[in-house]
Amino acid sequence: MLPFAYEKPKSLDDAVKALADEGAVPIAGGTTMIDLMKLYVLQPPKLVDIGGLPGLGEIEETDDAVVFGALVRMADAAEHPLLKSDYPALSEALWLAASPQIRNMATLGGNVLQRTRCPYFRDTSYRCNRRVPGSGCDAIGGINRLHAVLGTSETCIASYPGDWAVALAAFDTEVDAVSRAGKRTIAFADLHLRPDDHPERVHALKEGEVITHVRVKKTPLGKASTYYKVRDRESYAFALASVAAALVMDGETVKDVRLGLGGVASVPWRAREAEDGLKGQELTPETARRAGETAFRDARTYDHNAFKVPLGVETVVEALMSAKTRA
Amino acid sequence: MAELPLIGEGAPRIDGRLKVTGDARYAADFSVPNPAYAQLVTSTIARGRIVSLDASEAGKVPGVLKVYTHENAPKIEGVPFFGKGGQAYQGFRPLQGVEIKHEGQIIALVVAETLEAAREAAFRVKATYEPQTPAATFGDGGTETEVAAEISKQHTDPKTGDADAALKDAAHVVEAEYETATNHHNAMELYSTTAHWTGDHLTIYEPSQWVYGLRAGVAGELGIPQDKVRVLSPFTGGAFGSKGTVTARSALTAAAARALNRPVKLLVTRAQGYTTASYRAETKHRIRLGADGDGTFVGFVHEGFELTSRPDTFLVSGTESTVRMYGFKNVRTKVSAVRADRNTPGFMRSPAEVPYMFALESAVDELAWKIGMDPIELRLKNDTKTDPITGKPFTTRQVRACFERAKELFGWDRRVAKVGAMRADGELVGYGAALACYPTQLAPAAVRLTLEGKGRARVQIAAHDIGTGTYTVLAQAAAGLLGVALDRVEVELGDTNLPAGPISGGSVATASSVSAIMKAAEAIRLRLATAATTSNDGPLAGKDKESVVLKDGRLVAEDGTGEDLTDAFKRLGVGTVEEYAEWLPDGVDEKAMRGLYNGSVKIVGGPMQDRTQFSFGAELVEVRVNPRTLSIRVPRMVGVFASGRIMNRMTAGSQVLGGMVWGVGSALHEQTEIDRRYARYVNDNIAEYLVPVNADIVHQEIEFLEEDDGEVNLAGVKGLGELGNVGTNAAVANAVYHATGFRARKIPIRIEDVLKSHLV
Amino acid sequence: MTNPTPGASRREFLSTAASAPLVAGAAAGVLGGEARAQTTTGAAMAGGQVLVTLKVNGQTHRLSLDPRVTLVDALREHLGLTGTKVGCNHGQCGACTVHKDGVRVLSCLTLAVAAEGSEITTIEGLADGDELHPMQAAFVQHDAYQCGYCTPGQILSAVACVKEGHAGSDAEIREYMSGNLCRCGAYVNIVAAINDAKTKMGA
Repeated sequence: MLPFAYEKPKSLDDAVKALADEGAVPIAGGTTMIDLMKLYVLQPPKLVDIGGLPGLGEIEETDDAVVFGALVRMADAAEHPLLKSDYPALSEALWLAASPQIRNMATLGGNVLQRTRCPYFRDTSYRCNRRVPGSGCDAIGGINRLHAVLGTSETCIASYPGDWAVALAAFDTEVDAVSRAGKRTIAFADLHLRPDDHPERVHALKEGEVITHVRVKKTPLGKASTYYKVRDRESYAFALASVAAALVMDGETVKDVRLGLGGVASVPWRAREAEDGLKGQELTPETARRAGETAFRDARTYDHNAFKVPLGVETVVEALMSAKTRA
Repeated sequence: MAELPLIGEGAPRIDGRLKVTGDARYAADFSVPNPAYAQLVTSTIARGRIVSLDASEAGKVPGVLKVYTHENAPKIEGVPFFGKGGQAYQGFRPLQGVEIKHEGQIIALVVAETLEAAREAAFRVKATYEPQTPAATFGDGGTETEVAAEISKQHTDPKTGDADAALKDAAHVVEAEYETATNHHNAMELYSTTAHWTGDHLTIYEPSQWVYGLRAGVAGELGIPQDKVRVLSPFTGGAFGSKGTVTARSALTAAAARALNRPVKLLVTRAQGYTTASYRAETKHRIRLGADGDGTFVGFVHEGFELTSRPDTFLVSGTESTVRMYGFKNVRTKVSAVRADRNTPGFMRSPAEVPYMFALESAVDELAWKIGMDPIELRLKNDTKTDPITGKPFTTRQVRACFERAKELFGWDRRVAKVGAMRADGELVGYGAALACYPTQLAPAAVRLTLEGKGRARVQIAAHDIGTGTYTVLAQAAAGLLGVALDRVEVELGDTNLPAGPISGGSVATASSVSAIMKAAEAIRLRLATAATTSNDGPLAGKDKESVVLKDGRLVAEDGTGEDLTDAFKRLGVGTVEEYAEWLPDGVDEKAMRGLYNGSVKIVGGPMQDRTQFSFGAELVEVRVNPRTLSIRVPRMVGVFASGRIMNRMTAGSQVLGGMVWGVGSALHEQTEIDRRYARYVNDNIAEYLVPVNADIVHQEIEFLEEDDGEVNLAGVKGLGELGNVGTNAAVANAVYHATGFRARKIPIRIEDVLKSHLV
Repeated sequence: MTNPTPGASRREFLSTAASAPLVAGAAAGVLGGEARAQTTTGAAMAGGQVLVTLKVNGQTHRLSLDPRVTLVDALREHLGLTGTKVGCNHGQCGACTVHKDGVRVLSCLTLAVAAEGSEITTIEGLADGDELHPMQAAFVQHDAYQCGYCTPGQILSAVACVKEGHAGSDAEIREYMSGNLCRCGAYVNIVAAINDAKTKMGA
């Protein structure tokens, strides 16, 4: 790690003030930040430790939303009775992620901003447009088995590695953020930025802005939802492909459906066209597979990750058929 | 000489309490006064030259004491490569010039007041290179292929009869190529070196499975006498072959500590461990295996290709094992070395057998399907009592008994002999089997054994407990031989102030150390027995001294008469008897003992002059495959092993259980990814280099068969560290074939390989 | 079975480490010579030192640290509590697991300064005097280790696993112990030890 200034404000207001300093970044669980600082991938001059701030550690139910404080630990959210009963995809995406220790540390607000595992991003000796804009992308032409097939660009093919954000993408989610400029609400679909011309910009938060809440709009889709994750080993591994599926069924027919894809895309991915194609259809492995094929129709593959297309399609089938058993 | 009595066969480890309380002291846990902290800087190119190394920014980091580069590094003599009789993991010495031979080569050593400053400064060292295009692996331009028998004195290609002719006439032939991936040991304990000088005397704390080798290597590199160096490694946090040879960091750290006149503690990162120490290189195999109409093997051809570095020829030469597995009548083998711009590979748990037996045991399975025979039946049909190459008998070989018991435990008779025919809980089920083996090897060992009249004993030997249970089994051996309770025995290991023990490698540690203890214990017994039987009075006076043994704290004759140890010692007029013994395996001359003290290894075993000695086992696994995503799990493994005398069922069981876990890793998870453009390891961490986690290992059942093998050594002990790790990978691959029809000729088996086969 | 410690026994070392001179000396090495930012409490300038009060195994330690010092490095290199192990330094192996306010966390990804105010329990603080914690005893009884390097982390993780209520079945134990790699492959014995200890822990 390079030297940094450290400050531990006592209130959100103080935190926002401290974050106004140039280059200051918030830290809570630290599971991504400290890891990447040790690799010199991140070199923040100042850390503002918001981990102990009061008032951001609760999960609350309002009339129309489930509201997660940004400092709720992943492990606590995974165990929350409301999630387990009414939004199993959200609970499963949490407990299938990382390890128990990391889930005890990592916060929900930090987790949605998890950085890519692209090895060329994580090692400063390689070329990486995300780390050093304009330097090139060593993943293209390199080892890219774990990289994205959806939402990539000529400049970056890194995949978004997280799980919970994939489940959030399947629902109507918003995040509340605050900075010295005030509070604002960002639609979840707008939070993560595809690489396009500026892969170094991974999220829509401004300098000094910090997430305070994640709100998921209440929906009957939650009950019959699941998060299905395929990985190289049984646990403590990143997704090769994952799918958050949520259903409202009318008998055998799909009334409403949501599909979030993980491990395969540059950002938490919502497969809207695949959803549209399924609505009004009978849900069978065949129609589910067609939905999967639609979801990956625009996939672009590289030397080692072409398998993510057939795997992703089959993961959509598994997730949908599994969600159906809860409908 | 007395037999080895059995004591504490199921006893928990005597070092258990230290391990569960955090009191077991591993190398980096030792405290030294006012240490400076060191970090390595390693190259980011694999081949070329350093044009400039700018340490100015690093030097400005507050607390930095010194940055060593090739321009100011201490002169290191360089000891020979292990494969050439030395101790070094590779022959090439970094920091002695501008040349870069592999990725991750040490290019600087930073020493600072604090760990944080050392880390920051290491990052701030900037190198400029003149790179050349490297060759990364098989098939790359610039690799050089050489025939092992022509370049290595140690290597011969075992051969018998005319395999090619026999295969021409065979009724069934399997001809296939197999590949195994690059693997890294990834012991949980990171590499480290702490060097502490007091005057001209150096103490090194470093995780080691060969402290005398490390002592010789460091002394040689620094140009100081060996007796000025003490190496301590009482506990080693996993080694698996990675901590047996001397890497460049040890002498560099010691030289820095000498120059800076204070202790230096070097902590190596996980990523740097991938390139500054050894690993298991990738291999390729061409197999031809033929049988006649009823399944009798008629010919076997095994050609192996092993990757090695430019400067060093490291070969595992696994054909030495595969040719001895069945009654092959005609055998031809050939091993080739392929040189690339990589760090030198080295020993990794069952170095030869893991890759080579994967190839053989996969081919046997393929042949069984081809013939339409049960794969276990085919193996048993071709069992042999004699070594097909030398014609000499196996000392013991319970291949049939292992498979029969394993079948029973596993429920092999439920197997449906058809691909994809078995299902459970909506998943495809496959059964797979493979043979496990490991040559029984031995090495010279010296020990000091002490018995006190009060009934306490002490074993002192520079052997190592790398998790293998050495502390416990050596205490058991001493307790049994000296007739004292297990908790009255103290064992000291991992210290060059102790008599020289064997390298903890090649599964030699227990058998060799116990053999030395037997020799020392016999001398102690004889001293006490002689005094008691030649005395004028006492209950043993006039008895035959050979019939008198140490038992239950007493010196007793066959008829049960005897006296307490305290009386026996009184007669000698001493409170303590101490014996130093040197033990040499059959066919090893006495020079080997001097060699042992000077850091030279002599290991004998497998095929011997008059016999061939191996451990064997049968491994049966079940796999479950998701029919849609084709992801593979291993819910069940059964292993039955015959490996001579089992000293301790608990620690022995843990070794083979752990070996089988390694087999699952080898079959399904472990692969060091190489970016061929740069010849660089890409997943040099343990989040992306996957090893099995708890959830991957569901049910394991193991059993040891009784085996009395007095020929291998007096203790009847074979080795266990590596046996359990052999064959598992083939058993998994064979089970995957049974479940899916996908024949994995390359490991690890990845989901994309299976998917591809199903898409075609 | 001996555990050679040249110079001082472990106990002696611990008492020295916990007393002021050694710790202050280590810090003085950094502070001396260079003109450095002043030591402050609870906050630090870049390149400065921060006063950190750590409560470890019921004992309070006052340290002056570079804010970059992680909890595991503070425990091992500043307090001499070397039972906590480093296996990767990046949150990939679980060897550095400790309890922070009763919750299992990774000390390699925790800044020491961020642990101020928390109760830290390490493997050295688990036994009750000479009496092993039931989980420690079960690990010995079931040979739930080989080299022992991952063991402190495994045991702290296992105790938490039981307390969290995640030791209900073998499958649950396996999943909730998957954050602790054991390269020796002692997994089935670890599961057996946890099953054994959980009844003794009153779970």
